[in-house]
Amino acid sequence: MKSPLKSILLRHETVLLLILTAEWWFFSAAGRNFGTLDNTFDIIRHSVEIGLLALAMTAVVLTGGIDLSVGSLLGLCAVLLGMFWRDAHLTMRVAAVLTLLAGALAGGFNAALITWLRLPPLIVTLGTFSLFRGLAEALTHGVDTFTGFPEAFLFLGQERWLGLPAQLPIFLLFAAGIWLLIHRTTFGRSFRALGFSAEGARYAGIPVERRLAMVYVLAGLTAALAAIVYTARLGQAKADAGTGYELLAITAVVLGGTSIFGGSGSVAGTLLGVAAIAVLNNGLVHTRQPREVAGMLTGLLLLAALSGSVLLKRLATVRQRWQSPPEATERTSS
Amino acid sequence: MTRYFRETSVALALAALLLVLAGFAPSFYQAQPLLSLAAREAPALVVTCGMALVLICRQIDVSLGSQLSVCSVAAGLLASLHWPLGLILPGSILLGAAFGALNGALVAGLGLPSIVVTLATMVTWREGLRWLRQGVWVELPEGAQWFGLSQTAGQWTLIGVALTLLALLALAMKHLAAGRFVYAVGSDAEAARLAGIGPQRVTCAVFVLAGALTGLAALMNVAQSPQVDPNSGTGLELKTIAAAVVGGVAISGGRGNLGGAGGLGLAGLRRSGADSFARRGLLGKGDPRRGYPAGRRGGRLARPQTQG
Repeated sequence: MKSPLKSILLRHETVLLLILTAEWWFFSAAGRNFGTLDNTFDIIRHSVEIGLLALAMTAVVLTGGIDLSVGSLLGLCAVLLGMFWRDAHLTMRVAAVLTLLAGALAGGFNAALITWLRLPPLIVTLGTFSLFRGLAEALTHGVDTFTGFPEAFLFLGQERWLGLPAQLPIFLLFAAGIWLLIHRTTFGRSFRALGFSAEGARYAGIPVERRLAMVYVLAGLTAALAAIVYTARLGQAKADAGTGYELLAITAVVLGGTSIFGGSGSVAGTLLGVAAIAVLNNGLVHTRQPREVAGMLTGLLLLAALSGSVLLKRLATVRQRWQSPPEATERTSS
Repeated sequence: MTRYFRETSVALALAALLLVLAGFAPSFYQAQPLLSLAAREAPALVVTCGMALVLICRQIDVSLGSQLSVCSVAAGLLASLHWPLGLILPGSILLGAAFGALNGALVAGLGLPSIVVTLATMVTWREGLRWLRQGVWVELPEGAQWFGLSQTAGQWTLIGVALTLLALLALAMKHLAAGRFVYAVGSDAEAARLAGIGPQRVTCAVFVLAGALTGLAALMNVAQSPQVDPNSGTGLELKTIAAAVVGGVAISGGRGNLGGAGGLGLAGLRRSGADSFARRGLLGKGDPRRGYPAGRRGGRLARPQTQG
């Protein structure tokens, strides 16, 4: 019945690509210096941290969970990185490794509460959302800022490597890794099985708790990695780093077509979602709109993406029922 | 005793805390500061009632804090235009109810998960308010503070309103059919539907009610100071969720008691003792711990996202 061309055109990723092109075209026409190579690199630099978080969030959302604490954890890890380097006088390498460990540990804390105590991920991460931010503020007393990082470290965030932004290779490597994990391994496929039906996955012999725990540890680790890149880009670490990033990451994931109920989604969609948000934010700056408008539009975009996908699905169901004979229709419960 | 085990344990913990405070910080019991503290927490108590209803219905609403900020500023602006209280009060409540109706329509009508919907509306309202007002405080005209009453009378009025609402809602949830519907939808929406209760209508109504209560709380908040802080709702959602959960409302829905929302007292008292960073940490830790029995009794992996 379905022609292959039509199924390609109706794919979520295709629609998103069209939106992205429209955004690009609009801002190139409306804003000065938007389409330049420098600005493109600028967009990439700004989207790497959110991109990292969104990739890990894709895995979390695939399992039917959510992690609201990644933005706060980014702040905490940025502060920890600064403290390891400045106050504990460690080298930048050691400090970075310790920060990654701390991120994994914090993710493990989420995972322990979710899998051992069987608390809903939403409540656990809503709690740690405020706990991690509170810890970061307590460690810096809300005012301390870490600056003066070594040049070699700032290279990672501010310079070019082979003509490309230096953080881009890290991001591409990470994205490739997540893509392999989610789309090309049975291990990653089990995330979807979990999101589709945790009980079914258990009967299929998947160690549900262990896999869930790994996803949250991965999210913690990624938040730490994002914190390192973030600190290198800005050259400073403060307790309010990454405020609101969890929402951007979730928006990118949902915009990319991953079902918020778990069980289906793709890495490519998430990457396009990140690009759509980053271009929107950057474009608004270039057309001289205040930052609040960008925040507001991100919220509205998320609502539009959510309702749009549900409405399209309903429309499809109605049309299907219309076309097929009455005895073949199945009653869909709301 | 066993039936109200959760509520009793919170009450005992609160009593113990009060005793400790009597021993180590007797200044806590000075009449005027205590009255001020209670009045300051009264709006949060009203919002907690709304949050508890939403949680009992197996939903969550993290946009209540932003709603309170917007309603506060709106009420302040109306007051500075010298509107009478009789018009500001319904205006603020209606504005809150409209915000709640939008959340309710998206959650109940389209079947979207409440956490994502309200996260999006939280940011939209907050950033929208910042954009329109640029963080400017609203100056109230002379005599608007405490509804034109004396400070003590105003404080007692706020506390009285909050406690009366709490009592009325608690009774309604226990003895009115509408209240039982909320429990029914929260424990099993499909079973409620088969029993002839419209789960979508109940869910939507709960969001509207939570919004309306927030609108009222906004006015109670505005009445306490000569200026309106545009950020007064920041963090309120977490505080009220913590209060409701500490008070024994199961985050997985269908269980809980508004009387337990008195757990808020606990959160409020903590505030007076601990410094702000420690308090944030405590609030963060507080809710997972109390949510524990609910998840365990479920006997399976809790998946609230999938049930939306």
